Amino acid sequence: MKKSVLKSEGAISFMSSLISIFCGLLVGYILLWVFNPKYANYGLGCLVTAGFSSPAKLAKVLYQAAPLILTGLSVGFAFKTGLFNIGASGQYTVGAFCALICGIVFKLPWWVCLLAAMAGGAVWGFFPGFFKAMFNVNEVITSIMFNWIGMFAVNVVFANIPSALDNFYGASNADRTAGLDAANPGAIIPRAGLDRLFGSTYMNISIFLAAVIAVIIYIVIKKTVFGYELRACGSNRDASLYAGINAKRSIILSMAIAGALSGIGGAIYYLAGTGKYTLEKSLLAMGFNGIPVALLASSNPIGTIFSALFISYIQVGGDAMQPEFAVETIDIILAVIIYMSAFSLLMKSVVSKLIGGRFRRKTRGAVLDKEQEGEAQ
Amino acid sequence: MNIIADVLGSTIIFAVPLLLVALGGMFSERSGIVNIALEGIMIIGALVSCLFLKTANEAGRGASSPQLTVLLAILIAAASGMIFSLLLAFASIKLKADQTIGGTALNTLAPAFAIVLTWAVQGQGQTNIMLPTWVRISGISAESGFFARVFLKNSYLTTPVAALLLIVSIILLYKTRFGLRLRACGEHPHAADSVGVNVARMRYAGVMISGFLGGIGGLAFTLAAGSGFSSTVAGYGFLALAVMIFGNWKPLNILGASLFFALFKVVGNYASSLPFLPDFTGVKSSTYIYQMLPYIVTMIILIFTSKKSRAPKAEGIPYDKGQR
Amino acid sequence: MDDYVIEMLGITKVFPGIVANDGIDLRLRRGEVHALLGENGAGKSTLMSVLFGLYQPEAGIIKKNGKVVQIKNPNDATALNIGMVHQHFKLVDVFTVLDNIILGVEPVRNGFLYKKEARRKVLELSEKYGLRVDPDAKIEDISVGMQQRVEILKMLYRENEILIFDEPTAVLTPQEIKELMATMRSFTAEGKSILFITHKLAEIMEVADRCTVLRKGKHVGTVNVKETTKEELSRMMVGREVSFTVEKGRFRPGGVELDVRHLTVPSKLHKNNAVKDVSFQVRAGEIVCIAGIDGNGQTELTHALTGLDSQSQGTITLGGVDISKARIRERSRLGMSHIPEDRHKHGLVLSFTLMENLVLQRYWEPQFQNNGFINKNAVRAYSDKLIRQYDIRSGQGSDTIARSMSGGNQQKAIVAREIDKNPRLLVAIQPTRGLDVGAIEYIHKQLVAQRDAGRAVLLVSFELDEVMSLADRILVMYNGEIVGEFDPRKVTVEELGLYMAGAKRMDIRNIGKENKA
Repeated sequence: MKKSVLKSEGAISFMSSLISIFCGLLVGYILLWVFNPKYANYGLGCLVTAGFSSPAKLAKVLYQAAPLILTGLSVGFAFKTGLFNIGASGQYTVGAFCALICGIVFKLPWWVCLLAAMAGGAVWGFFPGFFKAMFNVNEVITSIMFNWIGMFAVNVVFANIPSALDNFYGASNADRTAGLDAANPGAIIPRAGLDRLFGSTYMNISIFLAAVIAVIIYIVIKKTVFGYELRACGSNRDASLYAGINAKRSIILSMAIAGALSGIGGAIYYLAGTGKYTLEKSLLAMGFNGIPVALLASSNPIGTIFSALFISYIQVGGDAMQPEFAVETIDIILAVIIYMSAFSLLMKSVVSKLIGGRFRRKTRGAVLDKEQEGEAQ
Repeated sequence: MNIIADVLGSTIIFAVPLLLVALGGMFSERSGIVNIALEGIMIIGALVSCLFLKTANEAGRGASSPQLTVLLAILIAAASGMIFSLLLAFASIKLKADQTIGGTALNTLAPAFAIVLTWAVQGQGQTNIMLPTWVRISGISAESGFFARVFLKNSYLTTPVAALLLIVSIILLYKTRFGLRLRACGEHPHAADSVGVNVARMRYAGVMISGFLGGIGGLAFTLAAGSGFSSTVAGYGFLALAVMIFGNWKPLNILGASLFFALFKVVGNYASSLPFLPDFTGVKSSTYIYQMLPYIVTMIILIFTSKKSRAPKAEGIPYDKGQR
Repeated sequence: MDDYVIEMLGITKVFPGIVANDGIDLRLRRGEVHALLGENGAGKSTLMSVLFGLYQPEAGIIKKNGKVVQIKNPNDATALNIGMVHQHFKLVDVFTVLDNIILGVEPVRNGFLYKKEARRKVLELSEKYGLRVDPDAKIEDISVGMQQRVEILKMLYRENEILIFDEPTAVLTPQEIKELMATMRSFTAEGKSILFITHKLAEIMEVADRCTVLRKGKHVGTVNVKETTKEELSRMMVGREVSFTVEKGRFRPGGVELDVRHLTVPSKLHKNNAVKDVSFQVRAGEIVCIAGIDGNGQTELTHALTGLDSQSQGTITLGGVDISKARIRERSRLGMSHIPEDRHKHGLVLSFTLMENLVLQRYWEPQFQNNGFINKNAVRAYSDKLIRQYDIRSGQGSDTIARSMSGGNQQKAIVAREIDKNPRLLVAIQPTRGLDVGAIEYIHKQLVAQRDAGRAVLLVSFELDEVMSLADRILVMYNGEIVGEFDPRKVTVEELGLYMAGAKRMDIRNIGKENKA
């Protein structure tokens, strides 16, 4: 009996995610049509087919999906503890920074770089968690501040380490980091022959790493005592206090772990050896895109794998639409998906009514309980 | 002396967007809706009004009566911010959505929409909207007195408009029936409902006022930044939220808080010409350090004020008649 | 020919999963006090919310003075001169008394608020009916009694003729209740009509002319109070005979389990201390009741005892171990169980399953985990055992989501969890609040069983009936202090009321003597 309940609840979540996606694509298509009617159908075609059009494109989808899984897990993990980690971008940046410094400057192997990124991201997630737990400062604002602080701090440190920059290895650019091929090929994440299989240097084992981490996070949340405490703390902080759970510790740990996940995400993106970190003036989108990934998956770690693949897929499609359309069209689609997710619980109750009303009571209750966001399985 | 006057003058210019947007946030939160979408609202307000200014300039209409055109741009910014904020109002009031996630959606939407639109209007890759020079109030020579230099050397119509809106805000919030009802909805919506106040309508009003002020704030930010509109307001919407918290959801405190924050921003910009500041010789790209400053200060301030701050009690909670 | 000012006919109101009102008729005569009696959940408040325009009924009509009227919102109700004092006051804490009274009917001159006239009218009304208030005080700074007077003034300010009082006496001392009854009488003498919601029979007998009884959303009957008895009313309310007494074993107190000395707890609401230098003991095999009006420091006292908050001074000893600084988990391990005041806030994680909730205090014990992983089989077995043993009813057994359970069964789950820990001391705060009679009887039996089994029980209750029937010893708390200690067999409710209201207090040195005797 229990299995069927979970299945149905999962089905409801899945259905409402599909509705969100459909609405997003519809709005996207309308925009294409408004801005450039001649090419609208062509644009939509790119969007939904480009990802599968060649092995190389598919490799790109998988390459971008890996960090998205991790930032999605990061946001979703914080949701489980009732926190909104909008700081994945900063944690991602700091993680990328730690990985690249270890790889380029200290010539360490790729897995040490990953661990360093994990630590760096954890530190950047720790602060908002710490301030939330100790001073009750809203983690959303703190995380945003730390996004900017992280980006500027990373820029200034990179700018002052000549040996980390591209021009140190003979290129003309002083505003981006050195290529790993030149600096330390050992820091590149193993490609395990996949690059030859797909005919693309984007392809490496990172998608599998990300999937394994997703499974581990699933087990931590669902099966462990620690996960039980985090969920209790996220669903009802007063009750967790009453149960003798150290809520402050849970909040801090949860944000630190969320940060660590984003940090790894930053590392595997840049340690692929194909992209170089550019000293940015605006926040990296990869972190923010973890939000729709987590929301589409209802914070379920396993679901995160698939929602990240989907979002990566339409992003590759978005790239293919250029130059007829701005790639930011994809962000509009993502915004619509987030917007729809904001009232996903309401939508779920509508979906379940359509299915037969068996779970109406439960979901209705959930709508009333603000702390339930991201809790529904 | 001149450098001090310039710093103070710039401080006022940068305080204006913070003040406007934080006041907007205050109206929204006082009605019970957490408005994290201020960043996006600013972008939309700036986008539409900058496109208007650019079009007016190209049509050759702006330069003849510049300030009238800017006034029109302000109204357009307000209107567009207000319309955009309806998206948040609808989701959080009508659909009882999670307000933070709804706001995040708007913040994702606004810059993307801005880029797509400017790209469509100006052609591929042209994502920066340049502003005509006549938007600035001019006619003050550098040799004028100290106060003229502070208030007029570099000034825009948005400054007096902001001052006016601050006064209107205070009166509206504390001296009118509307203000009393709005505040009641943010503190205890069931109490307001039980005496016949339409909670949904008051919350719509609160969010729309925040859209109105946030839109103007977006234009004010773009004018202050000086280099045209490039689909971003650099986190000012979130800084304004911090200003609002620091200002304890009260208009005059918010004025003080926005001046304080703006000062830090401006000190960074003038770092090289202010003799008493460290210039970090030997550090490359030290401007990044000063750019970080407002965000770090925000963090520290939030930590110290969080214990004392008193948010509207019902903010962030969708109003449900059934729950008592 | 009866002169009905309000008639509610065939009112039906459905909430998802429950029919709160099922074809209810209620007729209110002009100038009468009409009581509306029923258990928690019988549909009294829903019916009144319909009359006040907060809910729209699915079926039924409302007539005023014989004419059908539509009441779509509180504005309509106000226009029909209907006013209501809600059970949970609808007052904005940070507003002044005057602002709260005028909210919704604000006087305006030239577009601005014009309060001068309103202030004069409020002071006049306050004078006329003896309802003392300070118009410029903030709600958060005034007493609960004064808050209620503000609510009544809100109705008078709107010149309401039909006054609804929803459980108005719950927060008042017996003396304040007397004053309220007199005020209600003075209203009816002027021709106003009153609907008085309550579940307290004595109050109905004292003040009401007629009484309508509801049970499980249905209209049971309407009677003239003069022609009925308490027993008949209670039978109508519950649907069966109710025994008001609780069977208790012989009183055989053992050694001291809980020893509280000079406990002082700061308040979170104001600058003063919420608990002031409180000392008392609880022995094994005894139920000590802390009586008092809500808001006199009971919540803060129990939070300090259970570790949810910390005290500024004083010591707490449990079974001979000083736990003044111990964390919640440590106190629990040393044998303290806690049935919290608010089961949804503290007692349960509503989105968790029943089995996850049943181990909320013990999930960390070795028997429920393997190296950091939850031992689901052990948890399920334990949960199934408790469900059987304590008769916790739910849709899907251990897998039921706590939110979907009834209030009574939620409370049963908490009681089962706390009792099954075999505590030295059971701290229970308002454990029967909001439950129906069956669940109340069940909880009372469990508490007495704990006492008979030789455990110490500390019960905080605002219901004097509960205190009188369960306690072996009564401590009265007023304004953060313990002001009296009584043997329930030797004291009357009226006497307790004087202490609860702060009108009398014992010499502090005498408190505790009863204990040694």
